[in-house]
Amino acid sequence: MSWIREGELNLIEKFSANILKAGPMPKHVAFIMDGNRRFARKKNMECLKGHMQGFNKLAETLRWCKHLNIPEVTVYAFSIENFKRTKDEVDGLMELARQKFLKLLEERCFLNVCFAYTSRYEITNAVREMAWGVEQGLIKASDVSESLLSECLYSNNSPNPDLLIRTSGEIRLSDFLLWQTSHSCIVFQSVLWPEYTFWNLCEAILQYQFNYKSIQKARELHREHQALEQLEADRACVAEHLQYHGNSKPVDAHRRQEALQHYIRCREERVQDFIQALKQKRDSYFNDLWSGEVLP
Amino acid sequence: MALLHGLLWRFLLVLVHVNRALVSWLRVRLRNWKGRLWERAMAALLLPLALAGFPDHQKKLHPNPTNAHSVTGNRSASRRSRWLSDGRSLEKLPVHIGLLVAEEEPSYTDIANLVVWCMAVGISYVSVYDNHGIFQKNNSRMLEEIIRQKQVLLGIDVSKHNVEFLNNGSDTHQHQVVSFRPTVKVLSPEDGKQSIVHAAQQLCRSVENKERSSKDISVSMLDILLRESKNIPDPELVVKFGPVDSTLGFLPWHIRLTEFISLPSHKNVSYEELLGALQRYGTCQQRIGQ
Repeated sequence: MSWIREGELNLIEKFSANILKAGPMPKHVAFIMDGNRRFARKKNMECLKGHMQGFNKLAETLRWCKHLNIPEVTVYAFSIENFKRTKDEVDGLMELARQKFLKLLEERCFLNVCFAYTSRYEITNAVREMAWGVEQGLIKASDVSESLLSECLYSNNSPNPDLLIRTSGEIRLSDFLLWQTSHSCIVFQSVLWPEYTFWNLCEAILQYQFNYKSIQKARELHREHQALEQLEADRACVAEHLQYHGNSKPVDAHRRQEALQHYIRCREERVQDFIQALKQKRDSYFNDLWSGEVLP
Repeated sequence: MALLHGLLWRFLLVLVHVNRALVSWLRVRLRNWKGRLWERAMAALLLPLALAGFPDHQKKLHPNPTNAHSVTGNRSASRRSRWLSDGRSLEKLPVHIGLLVAEEEPSYTDIANLVVWCMAVGISYVSVYDNHGIFQKNNSRMLEEIIRQKQVLLGIDVSKHNVEFLNNGSDTHQHQVVSFRPTVKVLSPEDGKQSIVHAAQQLCRSVENKERSSKDISVSMLDILLRESKNIPDPELVVKFGPVDSTLGFLPWHIRLTEFISLPSHKNVSYEELLGALQRYGTCQQRIGQ
C-alpha cells in the first residue's frame, strides 16, 4: 500500500486546482509542520497521537502537491532543539518518523526531510566544507563566495523554496532554511498542522501568486548584486596578482582584461573540481552510513 | 477551458487585491474613529490641558516646528510620558527591532517617525532595512530626518538619543555594545549574506595560513565572528511594511528566532499601528522546542 494516499481530488477541488494552475505555481514548497502537540491537547489525546495525525496530514498534503504540480517539497520534521523534550516523546517520535519515512523512501519521492536540523548549523557546516577544500588545496580562501556557500549547503541539489508555509499561527522561522528562504514568499497560517486542509494550501499558493512579481524582481536585483560582487572580488585578486608579479610597471587595459579572463577561468575550474570532490566525499559518507546500518 | 481558468485566476487575484486594500482602508478608518473618540473623552476630562494641546493623533500630518515654544514643549512632554508608559505597560519589549521596508519609494519622514517612536517607548536598538539599499545610500538624509522628527515629536533634548550609522565595516570597533543610549542602524543586503561570506572568507584564510583546522569551525565561532564585525544583536521583532511577504534578504543569520509582523504600509503609519505590533509581539510565546 502506498503511503502517499492515492485518490483523486473531488470536483470542486480539481476545478480550483486548475484555476490556480493558470497562474505561476511554486516549484518548491517548504512546510514547518507546527501544532501537533497543541492539536493533541485540544482533543485531549496523547502527544504522540497528535504527531501521528501530523504525519498522516503530511501524506495527504503531498498528494495535494502532486495534484497541484508542485515537484518538490521540504518539511521541517524535527529540530535539534526538540531533543529537549521528554525522552518518551522523543523516542516515540523518532520511531514513528522511522516507520513513516522508510515507507516513503520506497516510493522515490520528491520530499526532503529536515531532521534534527538547524539552519545555523547547516551554514556553519558549509563554511567547514569550504575550509576543508582550502585545506586540501582545492580552492583558495578568496574563492569563497555566496554562490559557493550555497553549493556547499545540504540543499545544493534543489532550487531555493519559492514558498514557505508555517502553520499554527507562530510567526518566526525557528532556525529553518534561513539562507534558502531569504527571497521566498513566507506565509504564516493560524491553522494547526493536523487540521490543515486543501483550501489552506490553496490560500497560501494564492498569496504566493499575489507576491510573485515583486519577489521575482527582488531576486533579480539580488542576482545582479551577486554578479557584481563576484566581479569585484575577481578584479581585486587580479590586481593583487599583477602588483605582486609585475615589476611595478603600469599594466595596460588590454593585458589587465586578459589577466582577468584567465583568472576567472582558473577560479571556475578550481571551484568545479572542489564541488566534485565534495560530492564524492558526501557520497562515500552516506555509503558508509548505509553499510553501517545494514551490517551492524 | 484553459481560457476560463486563466480568467478566473485573474479574477481571484483581483479579489485578493481588493481584499488587501479594503483591510488597510478599514484599518485607517477605524484608527481615525477611535482616535477621535479618545480625543473627545480626554478633552472632556482634561479641558484645561486639552486647550494647551493634548496628544494629537494627526501630529505628523502637520509637523509645525514654528509653534509657540511653550506649547510644543508641553505637548511633547506629555507625549513623551505617554509613550514611555505605553512601553512600560507592554509585557515585553524587544531589545532590537528591525524595520523592514518592502515598498518602493520610501518615505523618510515616516521611517524617522517610526524610529523615534521605537526609541520613545524604550527600545534600545532600532535597525532600518530595505533590499535596494536606498537608506544606506542616503543615510545622511535619513539621519537628518530622524533628528528633525525627534525635535518635532520629543521636543528639544536631542542629545539624549544617540544615532549611529553602520558603514561598510570601517568604523566597527569604535562603538561597543555597552551603551545605554538607543542605537539606530541602517542595514542593507550587504549586512546579510555578504557578511556571512566575509566571515567564511576570514575563517578560510586562517585555515589557509594553518592557524586553524577546518574541524574547529563551529556555530558559536561563526556567530562570534559575525558579531565582532558588525555588532548587530539578533532582532527579537521585525516589523515589515508593504505588500511583499518575504524577508528580502534581511540578516539571514540573525533572524533565527525573530517574530515577523506585517503592516500594510509605512506611509502615513501611525503610532497606534506600531503600538499594536508591539502589543502583538508582547503576547508571542517562544517555547524553543518545548
